[in-house]
Amino acid sequence: MKILIIEDEPGLAESIGAYLTAQDYLCEYAGTWAQAREKVELYRYDCILLDLMLPGGDGMDILETLKKQGQQDGVIIISAKGDYETKIRGLHAGADDYLAKPFHLPELAARIYSVIRRRSFANHNHVVQNELKVDLLSKTITVHGEVVILTKKELDLLLFFIGNKNRVIAKSALAEHLSGDIADMFDNHDFVYAHVKNLKKKLSEAGYGNYLKTIYGTGYKWEG
Amino acid sequence: MGRMKKLLDQSLRPLVIYAFTVLVISIPVYFLIIDVIWENELDKHHYAIREKLEKRLTRLSLPDTAVDNMIAVLDKVQPGFSFNETAAPRPDSLYTIIRFDDFMHDREQFRCLTTDIRVNHKLYRVLIETNMEEVDETILAIGGVTVFFIMLLLAGFIYLNRKTALRIWQPFYDTLAGLRTFRLETGKAVPLPVSDVTEFADLNVSLDTLMQGSLASYRQQKEFTENASHELQTPLAIVKSRLDMLLQSQSLDAGQMRIVEQVYQAINRVSRINKNLLLLARIEHAQFEEKEPIALGKTLAGVAEQFADRFENNALHYTENIEPFTVEANPVLTEILLTNLLVNAVRYTPEGGQVQVHLGGGILTIANTGTGALQTENLFRRFAQASDAHAGSGLGLAITREICDRYGWQIGYDFTQGMHRFSVRF
Repeated sequence: MKILIIEDEPGLAESIGAYLTAQDYLCEYAGTWAQAREKVELYRYDCILLDLMLPGGDGMDILETLKKQGQQDGVIIISAKGDYETKIRGLHAGADDYLAKPFHLPELAARIYSVIRRRSFANHNHVVQNELKVDLLSKTITVHGEVVILTKKELDLLLFFIGNKNRVIAKSALAEHLSGDIADMFDNHDFVYAHVKNLKKKLSEAGYGNYLKTIYGTGYKWEG
Repeated sequence: MGRMKKLLDQSLRPLVIYAFTVLVISIPVYFLIIDVIWENELDKHHYAIREKLEKRLTRLSLPDTAVDNMIAVLDKVQPGFSFNETAAPRPDSLYTIIRFDDFMHDREQFRCLTTDIRVNHKLYRVLIETNMEEVDETILAIGGVTVFFIMLLLAGFIYLNRKTALRIWQPFYDTLAGLRTFRLETGKAVPLPVSDVTEFADLNVSLDTLMQGSLASYRQQKEFTENASHELQTPLAIVKSRLDMLLQSQSLDAGQMRIVEQVYQAINRVSRINKNLLLLARIEHAQFEEKEPIALGKTLAGVAEQFADRFENNALHYTENIEPFTVEANPVLTEILLTNLLVNAVRYTPEGGQVQVHLGGGILTIANTGTGALQTENLFRRFAQASDAHAGSGLGLAITREICDRYGWQIGYDFTQGMHRFSVRF
């Protein structure tokens, strides 16, 4: 899977790249508008991470060019402009998702996973993880062929973990993923623990191995 | 500040006082003049009568007895005359007297002349008197007339003053009315009426410069906040992503993990403050302009649902009593308002406490268990937290107030029966 990271801040681009590379993505970088334009014209990517404020131009132009050319690359806008107008404009222009800075890398990884998954729906509409099978179309979970009933939040968590396989995820990243905008209004994210516990319980009761690990009580890791 | 006085009345006041003083002084002056003229005329008249009397009686050439008889008759019949025989001549006497008059049955004032006339070598002392208006009556009459004219004058003054002054000052009042509608938040100066009067034109130009200046510095201040927040977003994003990477390190032990967790918390708080600062700047920037009818009850229920995890985690008893109600507002802002009020309630309710939401009759009340009343004067100000125990952004309530102000909704707070109550009257 090829990812193009269009981001002018080297520190951020590097972190994103390092995180995604460890997820077995192949990352390329573009730090300026001109570089981004060139890469986008020459190569195809499964997902493009697009910063809007670039040296040399507006990232929105690149998105518009892509869409005008009918390219199928998935696009996630990552921008410091968190306002609703920009978000809506971006989505309207054909971006698959919009993530306001600052964000957690696991959140980004989950979004990328989701975008790529949606784009290649026809080929594989299910994910297999050891004894677990997730049908992405009907959102049914089976372990050893037996259906496990999950709540919406538990399913959300599960997909988030799958999108961040073998990575340690901070509790606050999970909280932000689960409760969206209101997550960062609170310092206490203990509610995440309850959801993770329930998910773990349901899966292990269905016979799924102990792949979901708690790291010192503050982070989680899905091993697969 | 005492009672305010109107400009028009200010200019009228000295005029009225002056007119009043002049007219009051005029009363005795009128009286004195009238009195002097009146007495002068009467004295002249009395001398004329005396001359005529003496001449006519002498011309008759009557014998002494007949003269005596006639004078006796005159003394008895002719009003205002009395005669006495006298031996030696005495000087004339002119005087005014007030006495009871038998004929008029009242006290009357008379102007008198006592003089001598000589008829047939006989000397008579004659008293001629004429009834004149009394002093008090004269003064009363003059006073009455004067007061009447004062009133007439004042009424005229006030009427004319109002009429002309209103016309003259109309551009001033127009300017004032214009200024009253001036709001910094709108970002626009108020157009002031054009005037061909130099002073008003000058005033309007100065005011316009002042407004433009205020607007410019307000804009700069807002832009500064917005730019500063924007600039902070990128380093924040880097720190956050670096932390996410740090977490992947295999060598982290429990203590280091806890440190990372604490840094996450601090970073979250900074992002929260930054996000809210940006939001405030945008609300003030008159963004979120578009409005639509919003089913408040539905929105509220939707927002409250997002808090389900929080209620459960903090063992809060949440109850809602929502009647359908529609407001015309921006959906994003409305959601932010409701979210902030609920965040506030959840954040400050002790474990096991109550959160009650009530929407009815156009009033939304969000109540939560608390220990004591908050200081109200700073409650809705930025970074003026009433309690240090919890780490909010210090901007949540400032934002709710800003949103309420925009739509003219009234936000209030009180503490009753152990509950903090925030209410919004739509």
